[in-house]
Amino acid sequence: MPSDAIVTENLTKVYGKLTAVDHVNVKVASGTVFGLLGPNGAGKTTMIKLLTGLADMTEGEAWVAGFDVRRDPMHVKQRIGWVASEVILDDDFTAWENLWLQAKLQSLPEWKERAGDLLTYFGLNDRRKDRVKTFSTGMRKKLEIALALLHQPEVVFMDEPTIGLDANTRRMLWDLITGVNKEFGITVLLTSHYIEEADALCQQISIIDHGKIVASGSPSALKARVESDFVELETGEAVDEAKLRSIPGVTEVRSQGKTWILQVSAAEEVLPHIFSTLKTDEIRRINVEKPSLETVFLDITGKRIDQAGADVPDYRKFYATMRRARR
Amino acid sequence: MSTETKHIRMSAPQTESVRRSVSQRSQFVGLYAREVLRTFRNPWVLVITFVQPFMWLAFFGSSFSGASPALVQEVFHTSSYIAFLLPGVLATSMLTVGMFGSMSTIQDKRFGFMKRILLTPTTKATVYLSKVLGSTTRGLVQIPVMIAAAALFGVTFAGNPLMWAGWILGIFLLGLGMSCFFLAVTASSTDWQTPGVISNFITMPLMFASGALLPLANFPSWMQAIASVNPVSFSALLGRGIVVFNTADWSYLGYLAIFATGMLVAGTAVASRYLKAE
Repeated sequence: MPSDAIVTENLTKVYGKLTAVDHVNVKVASGTVFGLLGPNGAGKTTMIKLLTGLADMTEGEAWVAGFDVRRDPMHVKQRIGWVASEVILDDDFTAWENLWLQAKLQSLPEWKERAGDLLTYFGLNDRRKDRVKTFSTGMRKKLEIALALLHQPEVVFMDEPTIGLDANTRRMLWDLITGVNKEFGITVLLTSHYIEEADALCQQISIIDHGKIVASGSPSALKARVESDFVELETGEAVDEAKLRSIPGVTEVRSQGKTWILQVSAAEEVLPHIFSTLKTDEIRRINVEKPSLETVFLDITGKRIDQAGADVPDYRKFYATMRRARR
Repeated sequence: MSTETKHIRMSAPQTESVRRSVSQRSQFVGLYAREVLRTFRNPWVLVITFVQPFMWLAFFGSSFSGASPALVQEVFHTSSYIAFLLPGVLATSMLTVGMFGSMSTIQDKRFGFMKRILLTPTTKATVYLSKVLGSTTRGLVQIPVMIAAAALFGVTFAGNPLMWAGWILGIFLLGLGMSCFFLAVTASSTDWQTPGVISNFITMPLMFASGALLPLANFPSWMQAIASVNPVSFSALLGRGIVVFNTADWSYLGYLAIFATGMLVAGTAVASRYLKAE
């Protein structure tokens, strides 16, 4: 039995002609927060389905909490919790009744004290008798995490838990996820397409694209792989690619629609050359990115993970970039 | 986050020694209770449950009110068509109970709750059985309401408590079998329309090709052949014998038990294989 919380060997899932998960090998150490980072449709949710026994694997092996997912799915399900991207509760039930149902589904003989503790922990004790349909999104999310923790799982799967939430609620959830991991000692597998989320929460990350793991490591190790800065450039008129390539310090040029992505040795040194090569009125937007998980993804896959996933609107990035450029 | 965090009694995942056995009894109780609670917390369900029997008896039961007592006696072998109709209406009402179980299952799939259930140590068979029994229970609630309504319409009842218990058991078995059928054929469906379409498809032939509403003696032979294997007939004829004629033909109860058992076994096998989380 593997000692790691999650182990996969050549885990593969094929739907018709689509290989959603393609020979994935991961090891998640017990007690850590592990991030599976990738764009929509990369195979993150399918991975969770395979690891939780919700979907049958086409090929390969997987162990969760020491149990073979294929052969001992019930033992696995006793040891895992699950937090969905959308809040899934019984709205006609009160918070307490939702916990009661979860206790029944997990065959917990004694659960009330623990349920009360969890409601207190999540600040929901005063609302325990209220129907969930009257809860705010944040409260519902907290209750969902409480359900996931009720049976003292060893591993909690969080499938894009902050998707669609406002920035404040998302930050609150980050604190909760950190608390779940640190205070409860639970292994968390988190899928996300929010770069900054994975960066802030995860000790280890695997980047998945088209069902394949394309990079793995700690956030700092992954960032260290990328020695370049990236300059994102939006121009008003068509610019000759050769002109951009001729700028000193530019090592790679890629186009994404009207936007150019320049891989540069050091942005501080290259920016003056860009401004001198292009006319100022040709530049509509310019954005500098230092090594980050975003640039790691960009470096590996040649594309951005998901523009919609950016927490900060583009105009703020623009002003920040311009301020940096002026300095 | 609360300041009481540090006092929470759970800092480590539980060990093997305290892991629970997975008997499925607890899961079944939880899911069955959820079905029943959700049903009866819906005010519309309550209103319809109580109003519908009166409507059946008022509209259908009055259809022979203009006929001479001699004609009613000759056709139905009783002076009260409502008394004749009551067991048939109760049998017919069981045709649709499975539809509600199916709709509840599809709702759970579409809103993700089925995933929540199947990510716990709950088997698909347990989910299926809880839904089946939940929808059957929903149907059974109409029995006392309907009988009370019939009494208000002036019906007097024959039979003894044992006969009545057998009759109600028969209605339960019919509802169970129909629920099993519905939930099995919609196990892999996520389309809201499916249960309604199936209900429309099967309700009419099963209702009219049975002795639920009219005496079988006047049916053409091909309809009599259908009625002779139609479980709705078994329930209606068993009840009518008891309520109207004070005789119980227990063979009907036997047929209903075979029907329910067969549907239960087949449906559980189908659901175990085809019930989908989403």
